[in-house]
Amino acid sequence: MPNKASTFPEEVLEHVLSFITNDKDRNAVSVVCKSWYEIERWCRKRIFVGNCYAVRPDMVIRRFPELRSVELKGKPHFADFNLVPDSWGGYFYPWIVALATAYPWLEEIRLKRMVISDESLEVIAKSFKNFKVLVLSSCEGFSTDGLSAIAAGCRNLRELDLRESEVDDPSGQWLNSFPDSFTSLVSLNISCLGAELSFSALERLVGQCPDLNNLQLNHAVPVERLAKLIRQAPQLVELGTGEFSAKLQPEIFSNLAGAFSVCKELRSLSGFWDVNPAYLPAVYPVCSGLTSLNLRYANIKSADLNKLVSQCPNLQRLWVLDYIEDVGLEALAACCKDLTELRVFPSDPFAAEPNVSLTERGLVSVSEGCPKLQSVLYFCRQMTNAALVTVAKNRPSMTCFRLCIIEPQAPDYQTLQPLDLGFGAIVENYKDLRRLSLSGLLTDRVFEYIGTYGKKIEMLSVAFAGDSDLGLHHVLYGCERLCKLEIRDCSFGDKALLANAAKLETMRSLWMSSCSVSFGACKLLGQKMPRLNVEVIDERGPPESRPESYPVEKLYIYRTIAGPRLDMPGFVWTMDADSVSRFS
Amino acid sequence: MSEVDMAVVKPEMMRSYIWIQTTDGAVQQVEQEVAMFCPVICQEVIQKGMGSSKNYAISLPQRVGTSMFSLILDYCRFHQVPGRSNKERKSFDEKFVRVDTKRLCELTSAAESLQLKPLVDLTSRALARIIEGKTPEEIREIFHLPDDLTEEEKLEPLKNTTDDPRIRLLNRLYAKKRKELREREKLKNVEAEEEHVDDRSVDDLLSFINGGDGDSKGMKTSKNRKKHQKRKDRQKCAPEMHKKESNVFSSLCHNAKDDLELQSSLRETLKLQDAADVIFSPTVEYEDVDIDGEIDPALKEEIDREVEDFARILNSDWPERMQELLSLGQERRPAQLSINGNGNGNLKRYGTLFPKP
Repeated sequence: MPNKASTFPEEVLEHVLSFITNDKDRNAVSVVCKSWYEIERWCRKRIFVGNCYAVRPDMVIRRFPELRSVELKGKPHFADFNLVPDSWGGYFYPWIVALATAYPWLEEIRLKRMVISDESLEVIAKSFKNFKVLVLSSCEGFSTDGLSAIAAGCRNLRELDLRESEVDDPSGQWLNSFPDSFTSLVSLNISCLGAELSFSALERLVGQCPDLNNLQLNHAVPVERLAKLIRQAPQLVELGTGEFSAKLQPEIFSNLAGAFSVCKELRSLSGFWDVNPAYLPAVYPVCSGLTSLNLRYANIKSADLNKLVSQCPNLQRLWVLDYIEDVGLEALAACCKDLTELRVFPSDPFAAEPNVSLTERGLVSVSEGCPKLQSVLYFCRQMTNAALVTVAKNRPSMTCFRLCIIEPQAPDYQTLQPLDLGFGAIVENYKDLRRLSLSGLLTDRVFEYIGTYGKKIEMLSVAFAGDSDLGLHHVLYGCERLCKLEIRDCSFGDKALLANAAKLETMRSLWMSSCSVSFGACKLLGQKMPRLNVEVIDERGPPESRPESYPVEKLYIYRTIAGPRLDMPGFVWTMDADSVSRFS
Repeated sequence: MSEVDMAVVKPEMMRSYIWIQTTDGAVQQVEQEVAMFCPVICQEVIQKGMGSSKNYAISLPQRVGTSMFSLILDYCRFHQVPGRSNKERKSFDEKFVRVDTKRLCELTSAAESLQLKPLVDLTSRALARIIEGKTPEEIREIFHLPDDLTEEEKLEPLKNTTDDPRIRLLNRLYAKKRKELREREKLKNVEAEEEHVDDRSVDDLLSFINGGDGDSKGMKTSKNRKKHQKRKDRQKCAPEMHKKESNVFSSLCHNAKDDLELQSSLRETLKLQDAADVIFSPTVEYEDVDIDGEIDPALKEEIDREVEDFARILNSDWPERMQELLSLGQERRPAQLSINGNGNGNLKRYGTLFPKP
């Protein structure tokens, strides 16, 4: 009942909430007061759980009875760098079993870095009558059998997206499991699959789904098959090609060019596995409309790349290998004034000598020429403080800046100084910076800058940097919005961690591997902070078999209301009050 | 126009009016095409034959106050005209919702009772825009809502404050030291001068501090907890619905007592003799303290010095501070670096530097 001072009647709130969909806003609304908490939980349709171990499925179900969409994340980000051992965790099965019973009307499941079995996929297929969206990003543990079950069982499926998942796919026949009556597909991303697909099934599927606007094929789809597929779906907005490597045959080329010229709606291109540059002109008809181009796997060399990119003046997002070189980035800066996101990946990171001419100059050109640039991921082999300062001053609107200098602890190659000043300028000028990755030679000083200026940083990645605990202390003490912190190979120890223990409860997670945090400190932290799970990951054997002062191999700390998890493998120990008494 | 007058006027000249009674009892006539724009009024007219005369005036739902009804009529009067362009309508709508939040809420409520969906959506969206991007505190303030959730019920991160926690920290540190010393004085008959010295140092210390950025999360934890403990005591019995949620969260109650134990074990672990430790331990709470062992004046002086060092380090100029920090760092370096891998050779063991392709 609204009290007489309240100017916000409850029935009004329900209407208003239907227009508030952003997770952060919903979370804010839910803790305003008791009545809003209640109304909000009954109205919540979508939930995002950034760490699947932060909460138990039954807790989510109890609080939010009307969910239609669930998004979960499992393993920590450093799993992408092979730093999280296999079978660490992140299992979806306990979740799906609970969700299946609680939400018969669930429509959407989005998972990232989780382990999903075929059995889980079967549960999805038979439990939700109106299931529409399945996105499995960087997941593993399932095969095309599970996909068959989804195809056969989800009659209203709109989106099936397997981006970068590891799928065991013995057969390409699973596409045949989509029934003839199935027409609802809007988005299909199977680019991660290894095996050859059944082309007839693929063609049939594309042909019978008139609303299909996103199709990402795998590399097993040869260029000669592409034209036919595209012609069946001229309404495509996003396309990921298969391989482009066949020897040039004029017939195939003209067929392909003709097919592309029919796709008036195409805005995003990706794929391009293994490219024969002679085929590239076939896509020129669509280039002027492209806003997103993903050439992450395309072994296209500089000259051909430049030709392609210079045809795309409306580009907003470009992912490319370092074959683009400084020259190409300069051309990009001149041509693509709407560019907001740039990612430059290393073509041969393990080569002793640079194989391409990509340096700090490329980054500087783009920062000078692209006024809307907000997000950068840049792998390179050399950097200077001066270049970073220039980049910092040119683009104050940057929100995500990730610089990966390939050689660990590489200094400013001109002055041989640490890159503290350069990154200091970055955090000082980028007032809205939310995500930052550091590299190169860095002392504690850079962390002092980050703690002082990085007030909006939510995610920070650190490797081979800093001198002492002061570095870690600056970050934990100063970065008010810090949510995820991941550190590897830095000389950070116990003191900063223990002194800032309370800060850890305000963050989603902290990862530290190959640092100097002792087992004793982990025990203490786990014992005294019941709302944290302090996981010691150590493949050398039980930590109590070594002295307490001995550093642990890997440490993963995350806040949780679910208590210690029960599905840990033998090389993971949770430090809590009980385990501490067991250890001592 | 009175009823009698209306009866005399020729039918061609007459516009149709609908009689409506507002919640304050007054009866008014509203042009038919305008009033019928509201589904509820429309229903009353068509299904129940109401509104044709003063005696059969349609009573508005309770949530439609007189001033709200007037506003709603403005809305209806504008939108029921068929010839308007989308641009005109949009422009009118934008101006229409430029009212205070209280009014927006009342409008939404009133429009909802009249089932006038376009207006409900319009005002709801305007309210949603006001709420978006705000913190819970800000929302409470705008809409005058009570802060009646306990900390356990809030699944949100501990908040940072804008007041300088270092002042509070140092005050606390000094309060603690003063208390310790007073106790020792009682036992050992130490002169009161030392207490006086303490006060002076606090003042000196405060002059170092010029307020700044950075927060101590631990401070806020304790403050919040104390505040909410009190509030919890005062609170009335939670209704059934809330009990379910509280049970989930009550097990998480992290009371202040744990922090005392944390603090004292930390002191053991950190070994107060190490000067640099005091730099880090400030973020842990210092309330009533179990003091292990004796405190002798020499140690007390050292502690005073350490706290001053801390304040100075925090507030001195960059170059000076860099020197200190770097020299502190250098002390540690040999001990830590040997533990790390040596880069390339151990890449396989320590994972890769590049994400899996």
